[in-house]
Amino acid sequence: MDVTRRDFIQISGATAAGLAVSGLGFDLKPVKAHAQMLKTKYATETTSICPYCAVGCGVIVHTSKKGDGRVINIEGDPDHVINRGSLCSKGASLAQLTENTQRVTEPMYRAPYAKEWKKVSWNWALTEIAKRTKDTRDASFTFKNAKGQVVNRTTEIASVGSAAMDNEECWIYQALMRALGLVYIEHQARI
Amino acid sequence: MSMSFLVDTTLCTACRGCQVACKQWHDLPAEETTNRGSYQNPADLSFDTYKLVRMKEEVIDGQMRWLFFPDQCRHCLEPPCQDTAGDESAIFTDASSGAVIYTANTKGFDAAEITESCPYNIPRKGPDGTLAKCDMCLDRVQNGLQPACVKTCPTGAMNFGTREAMLSLGNRHLAEAKKKFPKAQLLDPGDVRVIFLTGFDPNYYHENAIASGGSFDVTRQVALRRMLRPLTGLISQLL
Repeated sequence: MDVTRRDFIQISGATAAGLAVSGLGFDLKPVKAHAQMLKTKYATETTSICPYCAVGCGVIVHTSKKGDGRVINIEGDPDHVINRGSLCSKGASLAQLTENTQRVTEPMYRAPYAKEWKKVSWNWALTEIAKRTKDTRDASFTFKNAKGQVVNRTTEIASVGSAAMDNEECWIYQALMRALGLVYIEHQARI
Repeated sequence: MSMSFLVDTTLCTACRGCQVACKQWHDLPAEETTNRGSYQNPADLSFDTYKLVRMKEEVIDGQMRWLFFPDQCRHCLEPPCQDTAGDESAIFTDASSGAVIYTANTKGFDAAEITESCPYNIPRKGPDGTLAKCDMCLDRVQNGLQPACVKTCPTGAMNFGTREAMLSLGNRHLAEAKKKFPKAQLLDPGDVRVIFLTGFDPNYYHENAIASGGSFDVTRQVALRRMLRPLTGLISQLL
């Protein structure tokens, strides 16, 4: 017999209704009772704030009570005044910040024209960043503009970031960038 | 208790929180995809993707509309897949919620036959032949929590509760949506537990948005199983 899928659902509904009113007097539901355990049942619950955008949604982090205390689950905090339990796709993926085999855990360096990234030490990376920042700043520093006004700036270095910083971090970051003479200080959410 | 969803697509902003929360709760891996010129990603549901926000760009009555459809299993009141399988150790309906659950025993079945029987084209086959789809977050629901997709939804598009509550909420949302979208409608509210509300003709959103997409052959076996299902349930209780 050839019926549309919609018809099929309706036909079967009618059959079931027919049997139901025939009054067998038994509970015809499947006997299976698969009560499942929640994966967060024995986890420690810690509240935190989503680091991504400026909305600042509250989250509950479930971590294992046994062993290394790894993250089991992160979801919205229903008691938080901002998001009341909801999270967008970025917030919903928070667990991947820690539980992720592809996470970069060491400083990486790609030399000019090189195709590969290679692991470097923190010491090397920080020294190299400081050295290059100073070199570029010293070479490009402008004390006065064309009109003779004091500007004390460099237009050769720009800063991009960061939505993940809190208020205090932003202050320190601004102080550092202004001290170097940067004028291009941007936030990545505006690009 | 009989549970249901109400998915109001007129409130959906396609943030894909539901899609990610689903993956996160079920510990499902990411998929490698390519840019197909759409924000919809991945292209389709899969063994590892139970929930997918479908996106379509349509010109309706001279106006461009960006339509979002957070697709998932509808948890039919009378699931054709369950009747096609005919084996409650593989596909069964959970009595406490009405969730249609697939187990590892789906491995032994003809996956194409079961997928074909689904009016909404939902089940997907894994590498070993097992079938997978949305499980209504049964572990969460049985422990008094909302499914992960509903919990995370920031706009109120995804709703979950008892069937009566969702049907009345659906009617309230429909009345509200009709003010802005005169052709708004609830999709198959009498047949499924995941009731979608669309602002336009559902065929604009997705070919399988409603159960009318195409026709298929009901084998005698399936028809017979369907009619006898309450009786076989009874027999298995007695045995």
